Amino acid sequence: MALLYAILVPYLAWLTWAALRYPVPLSYNWRSLWQRKVSTCSTAGAIGVVVAIFVVVLSLDQGLSRAFVSSGRGDQAIVIRPNSRVELSSTIERDKMRILKTSPLVVEDATGPLISSECVVVRSLEKADGDGTANVSVRGLEPAGIRMRDQVRLVQGRWITPGLNEMVVPRRMQGRFMGLGLGKKQTFGGRSWEVVGVFDGAGSAFDSEIWVDVVALMQAYRRTMFSSALVRLRSAEQVPGFAQMVDHDKRLKLEVRAEPDYYADQTEAGQPIRILGNLITVILTVGAIFAAMNTMYASVASRTQEIGTLRALGFRQHELMASFQWEALMLCGLGGVVGVILSLGFNGIQTGATNFQTFSDVSFAFLITPALMAKGLAFSLFMGLAGGGLPAWRASRIPLTEAMKGG
Amino acid sequence: MNGDPIIRLWGVAKSYYRETLEIPVLQGIDLDIPSGGYYALMGPSGSGKTTLLNLIAGIDRPTGGDLEVCGFALNGLDDDELAGWRSAYVGFIFQNYNLVPVLTAFENVELPLLLTSLGRRERREKVEAAMERVNLTDRMENYPRQLSGGQEQRVAVARAIVSDPELLVADEPTGALDSKNAEEIMALLEGLNRDLGKTIVMVTHDPKAAHHARHQIHLEKGVLDRTVEVNR
Repeated sequence: MALLYAILVPYLAWLTWAALRYPVPLSYNWRSLWQRKVSTCSTAGAIGVVVAIFVVVLSLDQGLSRAFVSSGRGDQAIVIRPNSRVELSSTIERDKMRILKTSPLVVEDATGPLISSECVVVRSLEKADGDGTANVSVRGLEPAGIRMRDQVRLVQGRWITPGLNEMVVPRRMQGRFMGLGLGKKQTFGGRSWEVVGVFDGAGSAFDSEIWVDVVALMQAYRRTMFSSALVRLRSAEQVPGFAQMVDHDKRLKLEVRAEPDYYADQTEAGQPIRILGNLITVILTVGAIFAAMNTMYASVASRTQEIGTLRALGFRQHELMASFQWEALMLCGLGGVVGVILSLGFNGIQTGATNFQTFSDVSFAFLITPALMAKGLAFSLFMGLAGGGLPAWRASRIPLTEAMKGG
Repeated sequence: MNGDPIIRLWGVAKSYYRETLEIPVLQGIDLDIPSGGYYALMGPSGSGKTTLLNLIAGIDRPTGGDLEVCGFALNGLDDDELAGWRSAYVGFIFQNYNLVPVLTAFENVELPLLLTSLGRRERREKVEAAMERVNLTDRMENYPRQLSGGQEQRVAVARAIVSDPELLVADEPTGALDSKNAEEIMALLEGLNRDLGKTIVMVTHDPKAAHHARHQIHLEKGVLDRTVEVNR
């Protein structure tokens, strides 16, 4: 990568200087592109598709990361069993939970201490598009657990009543799974659970969870142990102190993780998507670079007399090379703009992916940000540099006498 | 014509190579062309006329001998220097006009001036003056495809003179034109030679066109055959 930058940065600097200093007008290149409308449009279209895929893959990754990163508060910590990376594989005995609840570091609000004993199970739900089922996380939590997740907002119905078989579901999940409408019932753990409320998790990981009362859930699944505890401390600076206190207490043998760190680790769930997306992008990129190269070679071949004329008039070889390189950049930049516009069609679309750490579905939205669009455009320009370099070199090296004859 | 040679060739030779086979095109050309002269290069196909023109114009390099044009020993110039020299001292007129199709007549004529340090306004003034010289001021915004052959060649003449070069080289300038337009172009070149003192070297097959020149140089199989003065 460093080598790539070492080549690209001086080359780009030279091209920029060439555009400002060299006499071949850029309008000449722009109009020349439109002399060959069909090949310009088809090449720009192909590059556009590749750029769109590139941006969408990045937005998928970004949407997934955002879902996890926006889930944690700096002053909150998750307590789990040591070496269990996720809550699903963690267990905490009831007596340990009681010890945690008496910690003087736990913050209280008007209702009581802000600590929530929680239990997470996975339940299979039918997809709304009829494409089989997918696992979703069901989180049993205490009322404090709801108050502690202040990015979550009730948008319909009411919150669950402790002790009852009720559930609240994320609005984003309703479109993707069947039977999650208000008043609908789902059966799991041998009990029937009614949807009493709908919430909005603001794009966080909670948009992928069904919430129920922790006691009711543990009874249904005959669990005697919790999965985790969510604890709020006075400030983010107190998290290490709390972790040290838990670590030193021989009765506990638990691990404390800052909530943002815990969710940041979960972004690894996007790794398979990332790898697949990158693989597809690389393959398509190679194809698009060759398409750009082919178009530019054809353009140079059909303009040998024109190139010869410019050289006869006194334009220098490096000036013509810069000129044709700019033409390739314009061609691919045009493709980049097309690609970015295409990718905008995906913005905000809800989708889901399997978190391979919990084997449950993660709901998130494609998010096409200005930074991603800029990356897409930069990517298209990279294709212009890679695909236009050799044809531009060829244009500048055609012997003047050959060019004068028209090749 | 002030008599001082603007073009001097000493034993100039040019050969092309096809693999190891040497194909001589020009051999031992000695030639002096005075400043302000108007010379027609004539001879049968393959006699080396265009090759000689290309050598004089700095488009090609000789494989033997020396040449000095407009005070510069061209053998001593590298490619970039030669390009700079062409832009400053030579105006080109081609058989097929060689206008850039995506540029307007104005922009085509402006091309040589983009290689100078002139500002936009000065360039415009010079382009307008050149277009006026060829009587095409009403066609400046037209693209080459919107012009007739004769008009295209007049634009090419305007492009050749816009930077006020000392030397004009023309390769079959009337070869693609009908007789009326050919006559107009020849009259234009004659005027440039007579009124502005431009030195003109023109390759032509056409005896009528050659008659407009003051001298005719005849080549035969790559060798200078004779130079004759045109009596009018």
